Amino acid sequence: MSRLNIILLIIIAAIAATASSALFIVNETQQALVIQFGEPKRTVDQPGLKFKLPFIQDVIFFEKRVLSFIPDEGEEAILKDQKRLKVDTYARFKIVDPLRFYQSVRNEIEARKQLDTIVDSALREELGLRGLKEILSEQRNSITKNIRDQVNIKARTLGMEIIDVQIRRADYPEVTSQAIFARMISERERIAREFRATGEEEAQKIRASAEKQRVVTVADGARQSQEIRGAGDAEAIRIYAESFGQDPEFFSFYRSMEAYKKSFNQDDTMVINPTGDFFKFFELPSN
Amino acid sequence: MAFNDKSGGPWGSGSGSKNGGSGNNNNPWGGGSNQNNNPDFDEIMNSLRKRFGKFYPSGPSGNRFILLIVFIIFVIWLLSGFYSVGTQEQGIVLRFGDYSRTTQPGLHYHLPSPIERVLLPRVTSVNRIDIGFRALDGNSNARRDVSSESKMITGDENIVDIDFRVMWKISMAENFLFNLQDPEETVKVAAESVMRGIIGQIKIESALTDAKELIQSQARSKLQELVDEYGAGIEIRDVQLLSVNPPSEEVIDAFNDVQRARQERDKLINEAEAFFNDVVPRARGESAQLVAQAEAYSEEIVNRAKGDASRFNDIYKSYLSSKDVTVKRIYLETFEEILGNVNKVIIDTEVSQSGVLPFLPLPELNNKNRSISSGGN
Repeated sequence: MSRLNIILLIIIAAIAATASSALFIVNETQQALVIQFGEPKRTVDQPGLKFKLPFIQDVIFFEKRVLSFIPDEGEEAILKDQKRLKVDTYARFKIVDPLRFYQSVRNEIEARKQLDTIVDSALREELGLRGLKEILSEQRNSITKNIRDQVNIKARTLGMEIIDVQIRRADYPEVTSQAIFARMISERERIAREFRATGEEEAQKIRASAEKQRVVTVADGARQSQEIRGAGDAEAIRIYAESFGQDPEFFSFYRSMEAYKKSFNQDDTMVINPTGDFFKFFELPSN
Repeated sequence: MAFNDKSGGPWGSGSGSKNGGSGNNNNPWGGGSNQNNNPDFDEIMNSLRKRFGKFYPSGPSGNRFILLIVFIIFVIWLLSGFYSVGTQEQGIVLRFGDYSRTTQPGLHYHLPSPIERVLLPRVTSVNRIDIGFRALDGNSNARRDVSSESKMITGDENIVDIDFRVMWKISMAENFLFNLQDPEETVKVAAESVMRGIIGQIKIESALTDAKELIQSQARSKLQELVDEYGAGIEIRDVQLLSVNPPSEEVIDAFNDVQRARQERDKLINEAEAFFNDVVPRARGESAQLVAQAEAYSEEIVNRAKGDASRFNDIYKSYLSSKDVTVKRIYLETFEEILGNVNKVIIDTEVSQSGVLPFLPLPELNNKNRSISSGGN
């Protein structure tokens, strides 16, 4: 009985050990490579509980998720227009062929080292063909696509696929940024001057226009005034002519009389020859 | 480094451990939250063996005791499958590492480890990524600038210093957990890339002034596009520009001077306009005055003419009725009036004709002398 129990336990233990060696779990985020005495046998890319030959086969796990590759230091590249630019990139990649990946780079650390040089050279090559304007423009996308395709050619041989390469930062190197600052300052000075000068210009224009408008307005008023006066005079003349024209002879008599009345003041002295109609009866008429 | 080289990984390869891997806290899969801390299988066996050895002599009762212990352990193992999902969390259940189901907040059960396990990402909390600066002590007012992140080249090849913040949350827990190795870092570098892409097409002038809203909304949508492309399971809630400045003190001064110059220009123009507004209405007033005066003159002269004409007409009418008498009457009345008032010196014609020259002290006669020929009509 006791011996039987012990044997039973040993058998259970043996089964457990075998099972634990034969079973392995591949997680959602993983893929695995089954190797037998160092020789790769097959890849497992579906998650779940998996089997292998116990004891003689081993499993190596690889990441299945998208990995980021972010170089620590930006690369200083010379552009087509001879400008220097410090460019930081980042790339995202996947291990698509665990077998090749294992054979060529073995692990992620080594893979990243390889990627570093591959991305770097592809970047320099592409940027050497481009000017700063292009990098800043919408063409950035085509630049990054080209870099990605370049990198992919080599990455595929390492069992990886580059999903995208993005320009994370593109900056002037420290040396040139001082020059850029100076340029920015001078540019601002130019704009400031322009503002001040255009201010003077506008102000003078407005003042001149004010002066002009004043003269024109007053002159216009004067013209209207003369026109109105002229029209008034003409109307008055017409009225007089119409009225007095009925009998010019009588008018001149009558008007003369009026004028005489107004012409002589109390203080005036007249030397009169008593002839004429007024003095007609100065002497008694003879008949 | 979550990369698992040979065996020994938390996912229990073939290394004999049945402990389903609850260690390795650096790995997001470590999930301290799973509650299946059942003792190591080997330990159980050992303790069983010990107990077995100790109690063996007591016969069948010992056997029963061992079975009881095994049963209790089994029950505990089964119970270890209960887990609760917090209100901010979602439960992602994996069966042998394979995604099985998503559970909502509340108490749930999964088959005990190592068959199933659960991950509990916080899906409702909004996360924050600061770019261009780091907040000190969580106080967002105290900031340390990270100039390598914040300096960007604008479309007109100037440099601008931008600090911004990205707010994001998990929108699809499965994607978030399974698609990207480092989603948060990915969001950050993608945000940097997107922001530089946008700033690279904007002039510094507008980046500093009126384009902020535009930049924010563009950055948000482009970043969302990019993370969607990555299948990151992330929703970009907001991109906020916290500060946009010229790159250095001297340059800031130059920019401020431009602002001042602009103000000065506006001031000059305003002053000139004030002058304009002062002068032109006055001129209009002057002009209106001239016109009004002319109108008054015109009215006056016309009315006077009408009056004179009307008076003449009346007199003329009566004159027509008896011409001679009226003429005489007017004549005489007029001279009556004139001669009635003025000083007169009357010299008889005959006297003058007689050759005598009369003495006439004209200056004495009030210095005002008029001679008139009385020759009349």
